[in-house]
Amino acid sequence: MACARMVKHLGLPLLLLLLALAAECNSMSPPEKPDKLGCRSPDKETFFCWWTPGSDGGLPTVHHLYYKTEGQENMRQCPDYHKAGSNSCFFSKTSIWVEYTVIVEASNALGNTSSDPLTFDLMNIVKPFAPENVTVVVNIEDSPHLTIQWHTPSNIDTKSGWVTLKNQLRVKPDKSKIWKNYASETQTHFTIYSIDLGVVYMVEVRCAIDNSWSEWSNTTFVKVPNFSRKDNSFWIMVFSLCLIPLLVAMIILILKRKTVKKYILPPVPSPKIRGVDVQLLKSGQSEDVINAMLLNQRFPVMIPWKDQKEDYLIVSDKETSYLPLEKKKIFILPLAMTLDSEVQSKETSEVDHFPKDSESSSEESSDKTESSQLLTKCSSANVLNDEKANQLKGVTEKIFQPFGISGYVDIPRHEHMQEADYSRVNEVNGDNILIMKKENVPHTLDTQGQEGSVPDNYSMVKEVNSDNMVFLEKHSESVNASFKAKGYIDWVNQKPKNLHMTGHSEMGVCPQLVGCEYVDTVPPPAVI
Amino acid sequence: MCRAVPVNELLERASQHSDKLHTLSTTLTQELDSHFPPIGRVIMPRPAMCHTSSLQTPVDKDQALQVSESDLMSLARSLLQAWSDPLVLLSSSASALPHPAQSTIFNKIQEMQQYSKSLKDGLDVLSSKMGSSAQAITSLPYRGGTNLGQDKITKLINFNFLLSCLRRDSHKIDSFLKVLRCRAAKMQPEMC
Repeated sequence: MACARMVKHLGLPLLLLLLALAAECNSMSPPEKPDKLGCRSPDKETFFCWWTPGSDGGLPTVHHLYYKTEGQENMRQCPDYHKAGSNSCFFSKTSIWVEYTVIVEASNALGNTSSDPLTFDLMNIVKPFAPENVTVVVNIEDSPHLTIQWHTPSNIDTKSGWVTLKNQLRVKPDKSKIWKNYASETQTHFTIYSIDLGVVYMVEVRCAIDNSWSEWSNTTFVKVPNFSRKDNSFWIMVFSLCLIPLLVAMIILILKRKTVKKYILPPVPSPKIRGVDVQLLKSGQSEDVINAMLLNQRFPVMIPWKDQKEDYLIVSDKETSYLPLEKKKIFILPLAMTLDSEVQSKETSEVDHFPKDSESSSEESSDKTESSQLLTKCSSANVLNDEKANQLKGVTEKIFQPFGISGYVDIPRHEHMQEADYSRVNEVNGDNILIMKKENVPHTLDTQGQEGSVPDNYSMVKEVNSDNMVFLEKHSESVNASFKAKGYIDWVNQKPKNLHMTGHSEMGVCPQLVGCEYVDTVPPPAVI
Repeated sequence: MCRAVPVNELLERASQHSDKLHTLSTTLTQELDSHFPPIGRVIMPRPAMCHTSSLQTPVDKDQALQVSESDLMSLARSLLQAWSDPLVLLSSSASALPHPAQSTIFNKIQEMQQYSKSLKDGLDVLSSKMGSSAQAITSLPYRGGTNLGQDKITKLINFNFLLSCLRRDSHKIDSFLKVLRCRAAKMQPEMC
């Protein structure tokens, strides 16, 4: 009985003691001070505060937030603990340009602990949220560019002007470390043109209220394609279509290059020597040169001379000769060869009259044909000399290069017409027929120093009468009549001589260079 | 014939000035806080001690949106006027401020003086277009004396306090002008 009473008396304090011991063993304590208070206003109208609770001391702990504004004395409790999440307090009704003081108190069964007070002005804690719904569109149609759009954070009143937002965005290639910033004032879209193809870009946007910037938005990745597929195939097609006709044209040009060349660069007519191969000439070897000269030579048919009377013509080389010395240089064949075929043909046609017309005279018909041929060549040469002395000089100089000879025969220009001696004209018959007086004319005509009564001009001889009557024929060209007559006579008389000397007939038409020498054998009569 | 600049354009320019003023003052306080003795925050005067706190201004958005344009303009001008002298004091104090960022602070104070002057001129022109009530200015004299303190700590504390007052008032001016700008640009909502 006494024991039961003892236990009863001792029980309660023991129990308490045990409890106290138990409590100490579990280290229950009042809550720790809440820490890291913060407050933020995302829209310059509302704000919320948060805290980090300390340890709860092993007991269920409750947190309370108390605040007051400057000018108030009592603290008021947080109006809303839930809207902003756990351990937070949301203020929907606020004042600006007043100082707030906020305290968070943690309390449990063992006590309360308050945090350090936080004082702030609403304007100091304004910080918007990052922009939402950032979209980046890549466009490479015209020139590659990025079109970026975003939405301002919700619940911000910009319409009344209470809040003014500024925007900023930054872009960088994902491999680069440097961001490029762009400012976009109040608009919520932006276009960037300086982008490269085939690069992945990172885009971030942020906004600011009253120079207080939000965080950067979540990064948006975009890849700029390397090329536009549609563009590429289009251009490939265009390119290949253009290329095919070009190739065809090239092939045609190459195949027909000679024709094209002729068309574009027509060959310039260059002076050609008939019968001379210029290519061989150029090669410079003397044999080749000579061959060049002789190529395609059409030598006049050399008919063996029939027996005929041979007349010798004595040619003397006196000082008093009509021709100056240099004019007696060898008449080199090339000179004759340089005659223009035109001139040649012209003269031949003229001179051909002689043999035709003289065919009537029986004596020298065949001879005349031959000699006329010779005459043709040489007289044409003579004529050419007379008519185109200057031109010939130039031509001969050129041709003579391979030879190194610059000889030429200069024909004295007879300014005055050499007229026939009309003193002995008996009568004129018809147009151009002069009937001469009978006189003694030596058979062998001395070409040299003949003076007096022999008429010079035989070019117009149509018919030679036995008793020295010369029938002159109508001749259109009277200038060189005298020359022609002389030449004719000369050659007629010289032909046998010439024939023998054809051994050196490399030169061609005029078989003997010497023979082709023009000699003014009959000096103009003093009478004229 | 000269065309007068329309009011909304004037307001746009004015609000740009006020925005710049506010930015400068914010930067200044941050610079100063980088090297500020913690004890100073404790014993710093409360903002209610600002020389402009006697001026009745709206305390929240709803109130602010109910103030008339003329009153808003008048408030802005009064506040601006109240700072012309203190800025001179701040400038002279900044030239010898015992702070590592002294030269930066000094340059910014100079800049603020310039912007403040040009904004004042602009608001004079604007208020003349808005009626006589817009031109009324409440006098808010600064009575803090000609220097900020004798010792380094006191100087810094008083400097910081003045800057915080300036930051609040520049924010007020900026907010009022931006509300005015938005109201004047009813034809162009994108201005707001």
